[in-house]
Amino acid sequence: MTFKPMLKFLLRRFVFLLVTYIVATTIVFILPRIIPGNPLAQMLSNLSRVAQANPEAIRAAEKTLMEEFGVDKPILVQYGQFILKALKGDLGTSISYYPRKVIDLIVPVIPWTLVLLLPATLVAWILGNTLGAMAAYRRNTWIDKGVLTAALIVSQIPYYWLGMIFIFLFGVKLGWLPVQGAYSQGTIPSFSWEFFVDALKHYIMPFASIVLSAMGGWAIGMRVMVINELGSDYALFSEYLGMKDKRIFKYAFRNSLLPQITGLALNLGTVLGGSLITEIVFNYPGTGYLLFKALTTLDYPMIQGIFVILIASVYLANFLVDFLYAWIDPRIRLGQEE
Amino acid sequence: MKRLFVFLIVALTISLFAQASVPREETVYVAGALWGPATTWNLYAPQATWGTDQFMYIPAFQYDLGRDAWIPLIAEKYEFLDDKTLRIYIRPEAKWSDGVPITAEDFVYALELSKKLGIGPGVGWDSYIEYVKAVDEKVVEFKAKTKPLNYFQFLSHSLGAQPMPKHVYSKLEAEGKIKDWINDNPDEQVVSGPYKLYHSDPNIIIYQRIDDWWGKDIFGLPGPKFIAHVIYKDNASANLALERGDVDWAGLFIPSVWEMWEKKHLPVGTWYKEKPYFLPDGVGFVYLNNTKPGLSDPVVRKAIAYAIPYKEMLAKAYFGYGSQAHPSMVIDLFKPNKQYIDYDLAKKTWGTSDGRVPYDLEKAKQILEEAGYKLGKDGIRVGSDGTKLGPYTISVPYGWTDWMMMCQMIAKNLKSIGIEVNTEFPDFSVWSDRMTKGTFDIIISWSVGPSFDHPFNIYRFVLDKRLSKPVGEVTWAGDWERYFNDEVVKLLDSAVSTLDPKVRKNAYFKIQEIIYRDMPSIPAFYTAHWYEYSTKYWVNWPNEDNPFWFRPSPWHADTLMTLFAISPKDNPKPIPTWIETVEKGGISIPTAKIFEDLQAAK
Repeated sequence: MTFKPMLKFLLRRFVFLLVTYIVATTIVFILPRIIPGNPLAQMLSNLSRVAQANPEAIRAAEKTLMEEFGVDKPILVQYGQFILKALKGDLGTSISYYPRKVIDLIVPVIPWTLVLLLPATLVAWILGNTLGAMAAYRRNTWIDKGVLTAALIVSQIPYYWLGMIFIFLFGVKLGWLPVQGAYSQGTIPSFSWEFFVDALKHYIMPFASIVLSAMGGWAIGMRVMVINELGSDYALFSEYLGMKDKRIFKYAFRNSLLPQITGLALNLGTVLGGSLITEIVFNYPGTGYLLFKALTTLDYPMIQGIFVILIASVYLANFLVDFLYAWIDPRIRLGQEE
Repeated sequence: MKRLFVFLIVALTISLFAQASVPREETVYVAGALWGPATTWNLYAPQATWGTDQFMYIPAFQYDLGRDAWIPLIAEKYEFLDDKTLRIYIRPEAKWSDGVPITAEDFVYALELSKKLGIGPGVGWDSYIEYVKAVDEKVVEFKAKTKPLNYFQFLSHSLGAQPMPKHVYSKLEAEGKIKDWINDNPDEQVVSGPYKLYHSDPNIIIYQRIDDWWGKDIFGLPGPKFIAHVIYKDNASANLALERGDVDWAGLFIPSVWEMWEKKHLPVGTWYKEKPYFLPDGVGFVYLNNTKPGLSDPVVRKAIAYAIPYKEMLAKAYFGYGSQAHPSMVIDLFKPNKQYIDYDLAKKTWGTSDGRVPYDLEKAKQILEEAGYKLGKDGIRVGSDGTKLGPYTISVPYGWTDWMMMCQMIAKNLKSIGIEVNTEFPDFSVWSDRMTKGTFDIIISWSVGPSFDHPFNIYRFVLDKRLSKPVGEVTWAGDWERYFNDEVVKLLDSAVSTLDPKVRKNAYFKIQEIIYRDMPSIPAFYTAHWYEYSTKYWVNWPNEDNPFWFRPSPWHADTLMTLFAISPKDNPKPIPTWIETVEKGGISIPTAKIFEDLQAAK
């Protein structure tokens, strides 16, 4: 009975996503090319500067590279090649890390990014929302004031700054935790207990800095929404009916959760983009730094590759939210039937 | 039950995968040579990963800048048949890491492949070398081209040739796979040098010494068993690692580096204990676009040269890491180079004791005034033909903080003499695009460094119009300021096609005359050869007291020898003496001797 409209709803969403996906990838193709500059610059400057190569070598390399990357080809031809290759799952060859395939460069750093940001985002979301709801429930008590003040302060602190404070305090001054990297230098990643513990030690500070600073925002949002819900008609009505506070709070909490889920999903979608500044501050591997490098060197295929993956994951997250919404909230599902 | 299960899993995992790591005492940790993921360990790519050229594939002879001599590595000796034909004899011991002997064919193949692909070791050799051929298994013959005849390029391409394993590459070539080859499997790497890859991931690259390297009975083995480069995301985290003793060998820009040992008492050192702390690496130029109205006038360019606050600028913006360059463009910090400077001319022209350009704003104003550039109401000078001196921009890439500060100081001074200059700091790729296309006004940028053919290399890079291209077309090869002078071209050719040192010297002197007359661009300061070391785990690092090797920065292409000097702190070994020249009991052959042999072969 409810299955058919749901399917219809999801199908519609899917088509919509496909169209926006194509538009988005086109933009991703065009944008980096609008930036003035030459993607081969970094490489040639390295030849010119570090290798101190003779002029003939630079001349030859210049010519070879131009042909190799086809940057001298008309932009429409380049676009066509990009779309055709992307459909085949081929994200192309990186320019600055030539001859590495874009996908081969992204894949090894994705686990680090996911392992850091997925749990951090989820923990921040759960903690933030719990605290926010608690504060709303115990409005105007010391809990509320404490949570609100702390959340306001913490949410305004840039997480990289928090990260630097952590490094200075726990890494340099107290020496409790390692200051940089994802694991001790000289260790080679393996599935061993020692490596796990080592990686965990390196994990604590970047993780904590992200969780702490993201938590505040969630808490503030949740608090406002729960308070709002508690003041709505149904909550008041339930109160007049003599319903227990706890039960009313439960209803309010659930209804407030809906927008927070959207926020979470969007956040999770962008997780693959990494967290550039955390990665730089903690010298942690991840996609953020890769994207940053690609942007500064105008490595077109790399920029495109990362964005294609990023867009796909944001859309996937959106799609899942739509699905979840339709599942949780019958109004959305039934609204499609007209 | 459940607990037992978990315990079993954990125990099993531990027993299966023992912790893999490299021992700290046997590893030299590096910073400053690699800032992103590895690319490839194949030299037939536009940029092979750091270490490939440095440690894995070594040349026949290695040029030694400090001694101006050539160390026979893969080759044991050379012979000139006549003054255009050179034979190189390969050491009988020389083998690839898979046991296959290194032969003359490997040399010929390597160069022919570079020529064919337009990329690779020695690319561009065919501009100066007529042919390279294998005389027999162990003898390679090179013939110099007579048009153009360039003895320096001929010798550096032949003596410095790097053989590549033909038995590996010819298979790849047949499959058309050379350019895409990553060569990241340590078991399959076939190298001539004493190191090959051990491990690589997005965080770190580790090289391992080949303990039965073919050269160990001749040169001994380099100190470290492992060389590891952590991929730092920025300068700050790399500097911190050096401070903490996590890095042993660095090539980093560090603000106030002396504080490391003077204030923080860390076991860190640079080449010199006092200013300038670092060896020179090249000449930093203030390039003036010769095609822009106003800047096209030599008088204006000279006035700019007088208006640069060299001393103050280098002390404030550069921490004193470099000194003012000589206007002759010759790097006079290395003794052998001094003979190429016409000091009398320089002193006469610039009126200073060593012939450097004085910082003199009044003089700058005066020569502009005399040339008819009158101050306008807005403080900007206008020439008699109506050419307004500005507004121009002076630019370096954003983030190059030391050079950004220099730009600000120069711009301020130029404004004070009536040339309107504003600073601009675009992104690197934008900036370099303007530089190579010749659309900039004024930029600070690099040129070339000290080398075997200095000062020819720098004259050529800055002044040779054949390396330039019309404004709007990209050239990375040189002459960015678009200076066109046929006389210089002739002099350059005559300097390198002669075996008579006098003729060469006279050509350089004549070029200096032209430089002082035209001032195409301004040689402003010596850039620093970034090199720091920590003695926490490793000792005997090359420095002013132990001048073992003069290109010790880990990112430099010729850095390998540095590793032969150092040894573990708890087990110091004597510093090798074979690196000395032949007359001092070593194996290294002075360039002067090579030229003598060349002349004698006539």
